[in-house]
Order: sequence, then structure tokens, then C-alpha cells
Amino acid sequence: MSKRGERSVPPGLLLFKDNILYKNNLFGISSKSKWARELSIPVGGETIFFAGCGYQFLDEAKATLSLVLALDRRDLPWEKTLWVTKTLNHLGVNSGELYTKLVSHSHLSGEPLRCASIVLQRIGVKFGSLFEEEPCCAAPLYYIGFQEEFANKAIATHKILQAKGVKKVITMVPSCTFALKNLFPIFVKGWRVEVHHFLEVVCEGIKRGVKFRLPNKVKVTYHDPCFMSRLLGLIEEPRHILRSVEGVEFVEVEYAKGEWSTCCGGGGGFEVIFPEVSHILAMNRVKELLETGASVIVTSCPGCLIQLSEGVKKLKAPEVEVIDMAQLLWRALPEE
Amino acid sequence: MPKFEEYKKKLKEAARNPQISLALSRAIKSYRKNVEEALKKFPHTLELAEEVRKVKEKSIPRMEELVQQACEAIQENRGKAFIAHTPQEALEIIDGIVGSGKLIVKGKSLTGEEIDLREHLENRGNEVYETDLGEYIIQLLGSKPMHILAPAVHVTKEEVATLLSQASGEEVPPDIKTEVAKAREILRDKFFRADIGMSGANVVAANTGTLFQIENEGNIRLCGSAPPIHIVLVGMEKVVPTIEDAFKTIEVTWRFAGYSVPSYVNLVSGPSKTGDIEKVTTYGAHGPKELTVIFLDAGRSQLAKDLEFREALYCLRCGGCLYECPLFAVTAGHFGDKYFGGIGALWTAFITGNLAEASPLIYSCLTCGRCKIRCPVKIDSPRMCVDLRKRIVMEEGW
Repeated sequence: MSKRGERSVPPGLLLFKDNILYKNNLFGISSKSKWARELSIPVGGETIFFAGCGYQFLDEAKATLSLVLALDRRDLPWEKTLWVTKTLNHLGVNSGELYTKLVSHSHLSGEPLRCASIVLQRIGVKFGSLFEEEPCCAAPLYYIGFQEEFANKAIATHKILQAKGVKKVITMVPSCTFALKNLFPIFVKGWRVEVHHFLEVVCEGIKRGVKFRLPNKVKVTYHDPCFMSRLLGLIEEPRHILRSVEGVEFVEVEYAKGEWSTCCGGGGGFEVIFPEVSHILAMNRVKELLETGASVIVTSCPGCLIQLSEGVKKLKAPEVEVIDMAQLLWRALPEE
Repeated sequence: MPKFEEYKKKLKEAARNPQISLALSRAIKSYRKNVEEALKKFPHTLELAEEVRKVKEKSIPRMEELVQQACEAIQENRGKAFIAHTPQEALEIIDGIVGSGKLIVKGKSLTGEEIDLREHLENRGNEVYETDLGEYIIQLLGSKPMHILAPAVHVTKEEVATLLSQASGEEVPPDIKTEVAKAREILRDKFFRADIGMSGANVVAANTGTLFQIENEGNIRLCGSAPPIHIVLVGMEKVVPTIEDAFKTIEVTWRFAGYSVPSYVNLVSGPSKTGDIEKVTTYGAHGPKELTVIFLDAGRSQLAKDLEFREALYCLRCGGCLYECPLFAVTAGHFGDKYFGGIGALWTAFITGNLAEASPLIYSCLTCGRCKIRCPVKIDSPRMCVDLRKRIVMEEGW
């Protein structure tokens, strides 16, 4: 067995840990809930839309990962940059945010959240948001090995939700969903918050007769995030949705779909331990998806979204778009 | 360079190597096709697999008792049986039988790999031949196996041709048929000149002391029948209570290894014997006169008592999970040590290494969970990898 003094927890994961513990979000960014600006979402309520970290900071995450990847591909000691990031974080400067402002022209951060909340409003779902006060589900702590810290965070989260009178949450990020639905009941005494994923809620809406329609016909394939298919069993829901959207020609990967879906390469924090290998795995997954001939790859996980769009970029398939289900549904909203 | 750094570098190099990805993508494709056909042809397999999970659930908690029972049964059958607590002990028992200067033919054995058996025997001045074609290629290559069932899964036919040309001193073309024939020709007389044959076992029935061996090439039956002495090295976790349990387990093992039915299943319970002259039982008729079975513990009995992780011992070694692992698909055996993939990471932690050595592997698991979908006995390796990270954090005092 290992001894004290040995250090096996990868630095990339430790940065996640610090961010969650000290900044209340995965990426250590100071201001949350920018995504909700200009949307008329009420504060609090019995049902809240749980935004999570991943979708809020897509650009920042993408920028950081592409920097790390560029260094790793050149065999440079990229993990050292993580310590710079950490130090800057402590000084109140977020390097991901900074880097995004300097080099990235993408405005993806929060986009799927904006789309999802508009879609929910339009299909008649009543919900609020905790905005800046939304707690972090802290799931990565659990996967990194800090299960005690995770348990403490979970208990604190429970208290916040109780104090706000939250009875039900609608989630977007698969790993948040799994944590709130399956891990919290194990670690938090008296946890009784109902957890529904956005896709489940949309499915209900479709059953009630809500219609979605794209302006043009497109060939769409779906990438099952591991958490969604293998851990949460949400396999039929996305397919049901895609089949019911008018204008979508839904095509599937031959073998690697549903519970047999291939991981995008971003599982378990892998992308911040082995950036280049992770990128290769993303490419392999995109190759499988491209075999369907689809021009749009739809998924429902911020991690997969980043991984797959990087994979598409690397494979030089610019005509192929990678979007979240929420974005597709927003585009397919009926005229008011 | 720290271990984790060294490992990362190796993993990255492997992932960059297009040969590995190419060989693996072909192997994965044909595995999936084969297993799908096999399961279609024998649809009862899935139910049988559930039964085997139950067999394992009852066998592993009483593994030590069952191994004891198996040893007694083998001894009753006039074989010798030992329990080796450590790899060192296993090697000492083997040395006691083999000595040095012998010609040895070996069937593929992961347990042998686990204790570096071939290297050990060679260092003691024996001439050792791996007789499984894939393993023979690996031996010629001087490298390590990259898949538990298909050790040379990452080697192309062109590379094989070069290796066999060097071994035989003749030009061998990169044609698979010719290559197989050449290997047969080289190894044929080794079987009959060998002093000792060695093999492993896929399942052991405790009540009869019967060792079950799955194979397709026919090399294991030659190893176990042509030489006068047969030594079998087997991990303790392979034992099941009865011969009926063993039949169920063996069928599920080969089916998930991708075979409708393998060419051979050997059942060995004792040395070769005859009573054909005056009904006097005499040992060593056509087969070996002596059979020695060594059960290797090396951490297994400890693991069997660990409720959180004992499930790792249910592994049948069908190899199915490896074909479903996205990381294995680009790095082959580089994602592992003696055993590969997520389950291999766990085995490294508990059996062949220690937690510190295993930690780079434990943090390599994507925890994507597709291995569990494939696993006939539904071993939850990702869950165990995550729980093991918890132990790493605790033990290192973070």
C-alpha cells in the first residue's frame, strides 16, 4: 500500500477540487449566472432550474483546455501552468476568463442554458433560479477521491436548498444530475429533493402535445453522454425528442449508441490528466458519429460538447455542427 | 522521472502510434461481430452469465476452503497440489520440479505472466518456448503481451513475417497462412522433445479437482500431454464449488471471449494412467506421469475479504471489457501492467503491485462504464476505480 508523502492525485484534478471548495464552481470563476441576464426568470421557488458549472463556462473551459492541449502536444510541462492558474485564482484573477477574453471569439458560455430555459418557459414549465446563490453539486470531488469533502459539500447544498424551499430541480449537466439524484441520497440524511433532467421535462411536454419544428430539414445524430445513458438510463428520452422534432432526419451510429455509446474522452477528468490522449479519443468518437452522414451532432453534456467540437475541428469537418439538445430545441421552437 | 510522469509519457506515445489503433480497431470490429453471432446462436448465454455471477458470489467468499478442497481432490487423483502464498513461493515450487537445463513448452498463462515465469525459468538456464502463437510472437519480439487473450493484438502480419524470418533463418512472406504454418513447423518438435509442459486453467472444480482449459490452437493439449511432466499454475479465484458450476462458467467464458464454441476444452484431473495390464494402475501411459497444480494466492485471499473490492475476483478473463474500453483501443496494454484496462488497474492495486503503483492506472479509467455493460458477470470496475481513488486520497493523507 502507498505511504504518506506520495502524491498520486493528478494536479489537474486538484485544481478542480480547489475551485469547488473555494470558489463554489468547477472552473474557479468569480461571477456565476451571467447566462440568465435578460431572461425573465424568477428568483427561487419550489422548482428551480439547476444550471450547474459546465454550461456556464463553456468558453473558459474550452480556452483552458485548448491551451493545455497545445502544450501537451508539444510535450511541454503543461501541468506547471495549472499552478500559475491556481495562484492567479487566489489573487482573484481567473486565467480561463482572461485567456478567453484575449484569444477566444466564441460566445458559447451559457448558450445551452439560455436555450433550455426559454424552451422550458415556452412549454409551460414554471421554474425559478438561484442565480449567484446556486450551490455547486461538487460531484468532481467524489470522482477525484475526496469523498469526505464531497459529503460535506452535499450536506451544505442540502441546507441551502432547504432554506430556499426548493422541492424540485430541473437539471442540465449529466454529472450534476447523477450526483443530485443518486449520490446525494447516500450522503445526505433526509434528502428528498426531486431531480428531473431537462430532457425528461421536454419529453413530458411533447406528450402533452408540444410541437417542435426546424425551419430547414437537417440530418441529426445523437451522442449519448456516459452519465446519461449508462448511469441515468436516459436513452429513450433524447431519441423520442429527436424523432418528434419536425425537420430532423434522425440517424444513428451503428453499434456505439445508447448503453454502448463510446465515451467522448472527457470522462472522470481524463482531459486534464491526459490532454492529448483525451483529444485522440474525442476524434475517434467523432469519426464514429460522422459515419452516419449527419451534419449536426447533438448531445446533452457540456464536457461532450467541448470534446466533440474539438474533435470535429481536428478532423477538419467544418460543415458539421456540434450543439446541445437545448440549442436544437430552441431553434425548433414554434412561432409565438 | 516520477512514475506517473513516466506512465503518462508512455501512454501518450502509444496513443500517437497509428499501428496500435489500426490493429486494435480491426480486432474490436471482429470481436464484436463474433460475440454477437455467438450470442445469437446460443441465446441462453445471457441467462447463464447471470447464474455464473451467482456462482462467483458464493465461491469467492469461501475461496480458501474451496481451494483446499480442490487440492485434496487432485491429490486423490494422484496429482500433486500446492498453494503458493506469494509469487516467490510459486517459483520455488516450480524450481523444485524443473531444476535447470530443461526444455520447456508453455501454454499461454496470465498467471505465469503475473509471476514472470518464463523470464525466471530462462534465467535458471532452461530453454522455454511459448507455444500460443500470439505469445510466441511476443516472445520473439521481446516485449510484453498487449491483450489478455490476444497478446499480439497490436502486431501486424508484416512485423510477424520479419520475426519468423529471423527465428527460422528463412525468408517468411507476410502471408498469414504461411506464417501460421511456419510457427507450427518450428514448435512441433519442441513439444515432443520437451522435458516439461506448463499451462494454466480457466476454471477449477473443487469437488473433482478438475482443471478446465479453453483453447483453439491445440498447443495447450500438446503441452499437457506430450511431455512427461505437466505443471499447471492457476490463480485461486478460478475455483468454483462443483463440476456443474465449472461447466457453466467455462461456457460463459468462451462465449464472451467471442467463440460460439472453442475447438478444444481440456479437462485435466490427474496424471495419465492405465490399468490395461492385469488391472494394475500404472501412471504415465501416453500422457504425463506427473501432474502438479499450483494455486497462486498473491493477495487474492486478502482481496476476497475486502467487501468493497472483492468483486474484482469474479473476473473470468474473457477479455471482452478490453474491446469496449475507448482508452485500450488506442493504447492497448500500455493502459495496464500485468493485467489491463480498468479491471487491470484494480488487479494491479491488489494482486500484482500496490496502491501507489496502481494509482496512475486508477486515474486513467474514464469511468465511462462500457466495460461493465460488456462484462458477463457485470463487474463494476469504474465504481471500484472511483472508490479506490478515495483510498489513495486517504492513504496519501491529502
